[in-house]
Amino acid sequence: MSVTLDRHSFPFTAIVGQESMKLALILNAIVPTIGGVLIRGEKGTGKSTAVRGLARLLPEHAVVEGCHFGCDPFHLEALCADCRLRLKSAGVLPSHQRRMRVVELPINSSEDRVVGTIDIEAALRSGTKRFEPGVLAEANRNILYVDEVNLLDDHIVDVLLDAAAMGVNVVEREGVSFAHPSRFILVGTMNPEEGELRPQLLDRFGLCVDVEGIRDPDERVLIAERDAAFKRGEHEFVNEFAAADTNLARALAEAIAAVKGVRVSPGHARLISAICVEAGVLGHRADVVTDHASRALAAYRRHASPSRDDIYDAATLALAHRARQPIRRDEDETSSPDHGEEQEGSKPAESEPGDPQGSESESSTEASAEANASATDSGEQSAGSDQGMTTGGSSGTESSPDALETFNLRRIDLPRQRRVRKQGGKRSASQTADRRGRYVRAEPRAKVNDLAIDATVRAAAPRQKDRGRLAGERLKLEREDLRQKVRERKVGNLIVFVVDASASMDAEQRMAATKGAILSLLQDAYVRRDRVAVVIFKNRTAEVVLRPTSSVSLARRRLEKLSVGGTTPLTHGLMAGYKVVKTELLRDPTIRPLLVLISDGRGNISMFKEEPLVEAQKVAALIDSENIDALVIDSARDYSHLPSVQHLARVAPMYQTYAINACADLAERMGARYYGLYDLSRDEIASAVERELGRSGR
Amino acid sequence: MAIDRYSYPFTAIVGQEEMKLALVLNAINPSIGGVLIRGEKGTGKSTAVRALAKLLPDQQVVEGCHFGCHPEDPEDWCLDCRERARAGALPVTTRRMRVVELPINASEDRVVGTIDLEAALKEGSRRFEPGVLAEANRNILYVDEVNLLDDHIVDVLLDAAAMGINTVEREGVSVSHPSRFILVGTMNPEEGELRPQLLDRFGLCVDVEGIRDLDQRVAIVEKRAVWEDDPNLFYQQHAESEQSVRSQIAEAIATFPEVELPRSILRLIAQISIALEVDGHRSDLVCARAAQAKAAYDSAEHVAVNHVGEVAEMVFAHRVHSVPFGKGGPNLGEVIARMIGQS
Repeated sequence: MSVTLDRHSFPFTAIVGQESMKLALILNAIVPTIGGVLIRGEKGTGKSTAVRGLARLLPEHAVVEGCHFGCDPFHLEALCADCRLRLKSAGVLPSHQRRMRVVELPINSSEDRVVGTIDIEAALRSGTKRFEPGVLAEANRNILYVDEVNLLDDHIVDVLLDAAAMGVNVVEREGVSFAHPSRFILVGTMNPEEGELRPQLLDRFGLCVDVEGIRDPDERVLIAERDAAFKRGEHEFVNEFAAADTNLARALAEAIAAVKGVRVSPGHARLISAICVEAGVLGHRADVVTDHASRALAAYRRHASPSRDDIYDAATLALAHRARQPIRRDEDETSSPDHGEEQEGSKPAESEPGDPQGSESESSTEASAEANASATDSGEQSAGSDQGMTTGGSSGTESSPDALETFNLRRIDLPRQRRVRKQGGKRSASQTADRRGRYVRAEPRAKVNDLAIDATVRAAAPRQKDRGRLAGERLKLEREDLRQKVRERKVGNLIVFVVDASASMDAEQRMAATKGAILSLLQDAYVRRDRVAVVIFKNRTAEVVLRPTSSVSLARRRLEKLSVGGTTPLTHGLMAGYKVVKTELLRDPTIRPLLVLISDGRGNISMFKEEPLVEAQKVAALIDSENIDALVIDSARDYSHLPSVQHLARVAPMYQTYAINACADLAERMGARYYGLYDLSRDEIASAVERELGRSGR
Repeated sequence: MAIDRYSYPFTAIVGQEEMKLALVLNAINPSIGGVLIRGEKGTGKSTAVRALAKLLPDQQVVEGCHFGCHPEDPEDWCLDCRERARAGALPVTTRRMRVVELPINASEDRVVGTIDLEAALKEGSRRFEPGVLAEANRNILYVDEVNLLDDHIVDVLLDAAAMGINTVEREGVSVSHPSRFILVGTMNPEEGELRPQLLDRFGLCVDVEGIRDLDQRVAIVEKRAVWEDDPNLFYQQHAESEQSVRSQIAEAIATFPEVELPRSILRLIAQISIALEVDGHRSDLVCARAAQAKAAYDSAEHVAVNHVGEVAEMVFAHRVHSVPFGKGGPNLGEVIARMIGQS
């Protein structure tokens, strides 16, 4: 069983700013069924620090003594099989109080350790198949924390999703068949620069917050000062924040006790649904989460029932990753009843009596509610904890009665200014046979050359008794026990540009656009694992000016000094590009190359002593026959349909190339997609490549 | 002191002052978070890192501990040490801080540690065999060509670097152990970029170039020749300067926590960060620590503006967003000079 070292973690209340993040974590600690929180944000904004700091503030709860899964002795339906047996035989379950914990799931975890597996030692000793619990067992009734959750392997994500959906971990592997409760609060952090999260996993997170660096110099100084004080272990600092943390922990415990009595009034329940509908969310999870979160928030702010601010604040956190429309928070608006279509269908509720507690907390201004909350908990930090949430609406001057304003959804954009994030690339994982990559699971194979020792021993263990192994003897292995490691590695694309640098009217523009497109594609190379190579052809030769690389700086330097001029050795260019692709495929057969030809398609230099046009067609056919993906971007205008050109070609064979659309023809022979981009631009080239790689354009 | 082919004296390295300073500052205060050295081939990157090993301070470790736990820091102890401490006082020994190398072709199981093969096959028991991250605890973890490291190894490094703990949940073993190391990496940017997440983990970053000064180039070749001729003699010639830097570092290690960090300095640092539009706050913390280490190295009692000036470029070099097309955006040197001039 893994034990997390207790590290002297930075106090939660000493974290400066990031109020939404702290609030989201606190709400989950109050009501675990909210379903966790995803913290998205740039590097170095205290994401992990906050999660680890939270661990010390978590409440204690009763657990069954000696239970692997920390079952709740008072929640009989959710007991594990062991506890049920014990209860039946003894009539009572011994229990003790334990603090809720943060259980970490490292991103390189292997499946057997996540879901649990056969207990090898028990199998060896007595030949029994006993289940050895994994991380999902430990996480039951605790916080499951995944740092960099977007980097988690897909099959581990599947397992997590399964458990999260059912609250049960079902194990059917290595001869063990077992199910146990696994209800956890999923907390994840991610940096969107490294790629996006799968939508199903995203939806599993109850709340979501985006964090950004603080731009205020004074707050930044405060951060540095507190960090220094913490590092030095200054007594003042330690005492101050130990007290603040204690106060917050107490406030949490009180909120947990109070939240059972907090109910959303019927009017406000409709408000929640109205917000969710307006935000255009899919499914109903958003409504449920908002309901839970607003109750937690009300309990934390010591409201008897969630106020509309509580609800909007909760909705902001619950919908951040679900809303397809920005959430509008209505404001102090007195002329509400007879205005706006968005109130339609909500009319009946207007006559609904606002429940007394609700209107009481409503009528008190927000400021006093805040003061209320802050007076009771940890001072300055939580005093600010709402400001981040409510800066959008100046609801302090609300004067209209509760029932009337309930459905007054006026359009006000949230203060959240989400930066436009680049879409995470299509990072395909491919299984590799060359022993590189992450060992993700094991399987029996006819020929095992990359032995998975753990899985092999697990497979052999239950059979030792039958094979007559005595204690202290070596393990008796048979061929059938051997397990092969299955490894996965993320592979990117190799994009080989073959660029026409011959002199023509649009040569300069073509080069500039190509350079731009290459650099633009490389900007995301670290996310997408892409590499780019460039072949230039002009005069009588082709040259590989950029070997496959993911380096922007190198590409920029190499592309800087390219010049244009001379004739068009198209065949040379295609051959050189083809060779680059072949070489790279030899080196790593898992890559997915894409050859991009940018040219007018009118080669006029022979390579194999044949008609240049015919030669190029032959190379195109070769590329097609090798199943190399290709893309042809035509840089010339298509004159082939003009009668004058057709006539010219008939009388003078040297103009024949103008009578057909040479590029379209090449594309067809190459099995490539054809783009006629007469006014070439950087973005057009880049998005054509993106489309070809099966990604949405940017 | 044993002389091996790696022990070219640190103080005999010609030029590359920034790189040397960055290494020294990390030796003084490991929580600066390491250094990334970017540059062309043959600029003495690896030589400097290996030479640094000789200047590193001695440290106390628990004898026989795989992870080199600090005997006086019970919160950081590994589980073994905790258990042993319950039975009685832990035996203590002194060792020099080391440079532990992570080869780029290292497999994941060797990095994080794995199931002990022998124990597994003999007894079917799952014993943990520590890996490079265990060895690196309280030492320097050196990755040559760090940009060529496989993705999944980088993920593991990031995890450990962020937490100071290596948590293993794989291949049937479930263990966590302390893994706090100074991450030192070298890379040649022409071979490909580093992932931004990993980039940000390096406290400092210096760009090295070949020296263009003729006299210095000649000096490099001459020194190298003497070194290859008779390493022992060469080492003795530099023994004095080595010893003096070593004691200067030791002195700074003792004094840096006491070096005062005035609020005006922290403010200046925050303003530089804001002006350069860097992500997050790590830059502020790193800059403060580096300036403090520099002040201690200079035997100053409090951090002054010039200390910030001397470390700022190393702190921000890799944190400023690159501008893809042409120039524009903040110019590092200019912004720093302007902010420092203002204060």
